[in-house]
Amino acid sequence: MEFLYKVTIGPFVEMFTYPQFFLEVAIGGLQSGVMYSLVALGFVLIYKASGVFNYSQGVMVLFAALFFVGFIDKGVPVILAFILTMGVMLLLALGVERLVLRKLVNQPEITLFMATIGIAFFLEGLAEVVWGGDLRILDIGVPDGQWEIGEMLIQQADTWAALIAGVLVIALAAFFQYTKTGRALRAVADDHQAALTVGIGLERIWFIVWSVAGLVALVAGIMWGSKLGVQFSLIFIALKALPVLILGGFDSVPGAIIGGLIIGFGEKVFEIFWGTHMGGAVEEWFAYVLALAFLVFRPQGLFGEKIIERV
Amino acid sequence: MKERKFGEPLLTVENISLSFGGVKALQDISFDILKHEVRAIIGPNGAGKSSMLNVINGFYHPQEGSITYKGQKRSAMKPHEAARQGIARTFQNIALFRGMSTLDNIMTGRVNKMKSGLLAQALYVGPALKEEMRNREFVEHVIDFLEIQAIRKTPVGRLPYGLQKRVELGRALAAEPELLLLDEPMAGMNVEEKEDMCRFVLDVNDEFGTTIALIEHDMGVVMDISDRVVVLDYGKKLADGKPEAVRQDPVVVKAYLGEAH
Repeated sequence: MEFLYKVTIGPFVEMFTYPQFFLEVAIGGLQSGVMYSLVALGFVLIYKASGVFNYSQGVMVLFAALFFVGFIDKGVPVILAFILTMGVMLLLALGVERLVLRKLVNQPEITLFMATIGIAFFLEGLAEVVWGGDLRILDIGVPDGQWEIGEMLIQQADTWAALIAGVLVIALAAFFQYTKTGRALRAVADDHQAALTVGIGLERIWFIVWSVAGLVALVAGIMWGSKLGVQFSLIFIALKALPVLILGGFDSVPGAIIGGLIIGFGEKVFEIFWGTHMGGAVEEWFAYVLALAFLVFRPQGLFGEKIIERV
Repeated sequence: MKERKFGEPLLTVENISLSFGGVKALQDISFDILKHEVRAIIGPNGAGKSSMLNVINGFYHPQEGSITYKGQKRSAMKPHEAARQGIARTFQNIALFRGMSTLDNIMTGRVNKMKSGLLAQALYVGPALKEEMRNREFVEHVIDFLEIQAIRKTPVGRLPYGLQKRVELGRALAAEPELLLLDEPMAGMNVEEKEDMCRFVLDVNDEFGTTIALIEHDMGVVMDISDRVVVLDYGKKLADGKPEAVRQDPVVVKAYLGEAH
């Protein structure tokens, strides 16, 4: 009985008894949620524009972070390092479009998916050849302290990261919704053939979308890199993006944002208020269980398009 | 019916042959489409009508023959180039952007009329914003013309079939095409919807002066609205001429009704 109370009513009582502590946990959760959103967004962009699940998105995050930190270690100023790395990501987008996607127009999606697995291995290898496999510390001079508001402690670096990610996410969402190129991107995502007929060239769109995904990967790489150090395990934060995508819907930019926030918030709150009674480390699996529940009850995600086929 | 005047040939196809492996989809097809004309391509199922349209708009590249469009002769072009050159089309089994609203779908038709750079769009400033508004105005005009104001914001995936066809026509019109290709615009429609569609086709031809090439297998509809008709069967051209003449051509009658045994 006591256990039952601890995992049902107990946590809510605690939340109401210590509202400030709850708020602190919640804000921490939302902050990491925004960073999940950012990674998920990279997947969504490419999925929207080509219907392909880009397996290499996680590696792109690492790849970008490694080049960025590599340039900085060589004594390049932060701004210049950012521009140089973005240049590398543009070249990568161009290469992917020219050498891979262009050859695979009109192939089944599984073929394109396999191609992105190939890209992932290639990038991982290339990054290691160029920069080596060691952990590198990334410090771009974001203040590292904490703010004390009342009894709450708010991490400054996380707040900055969340802010930047938030701005980027909103800007991209607006770009998709309100501009000609955004519309063309959505059109290509929806139907290649129809897009070609109205005069949208696939090559250009694919280059743009991989470039934007490269930019997102770079920003995500910098943020996660300065939080955890730039190391090959960064690839695995992409795994956290999967539940976010299932929650938000693979083709929805707002979905990626909300999905990230829900997962970030949910797993922190669950860890603190429930996890302590359940032996801890629930943060590890919470997201996946939530995603599983979504797959059962709402497979298209919160914002995904529900496709009803005419029979 | 008043006398209709046509200009020079806008498009001429000469000796087009297209095959897929051993299947000969089109064999030695030649015809022309005059400016301002409503030209129909008819034939039974599997006659090669859609293949012909796909050749004109660049989805298929014929093994033999040439296409002369606006005085330029070539063996084939790419679909998005064709679109840039003023060829717009619709599909037999509707190819709309299902997740997007009617308005957005039709706006995509304007893609080649909008020139502002990526950066200007991204910043959503000055010329890019004005351009967006100007094109939006034209699209609203198309929406009024097709009488689909009520569904402007509806995702097209949710619309009934007849309306989807109309939206698809709208997207093609938004490009202000010189040549409009319609692949079975009346297929699967009820009588009332067919009448509406006929009226739109004729109005487009009249008001915008657009040259139209359309495919149908329903003879009745085609004969009423087209100026000249090409008849295909098994990838070969059977007849070409005015509807009245084609209707009475014994070869055509045979292809449609079969031979008496």
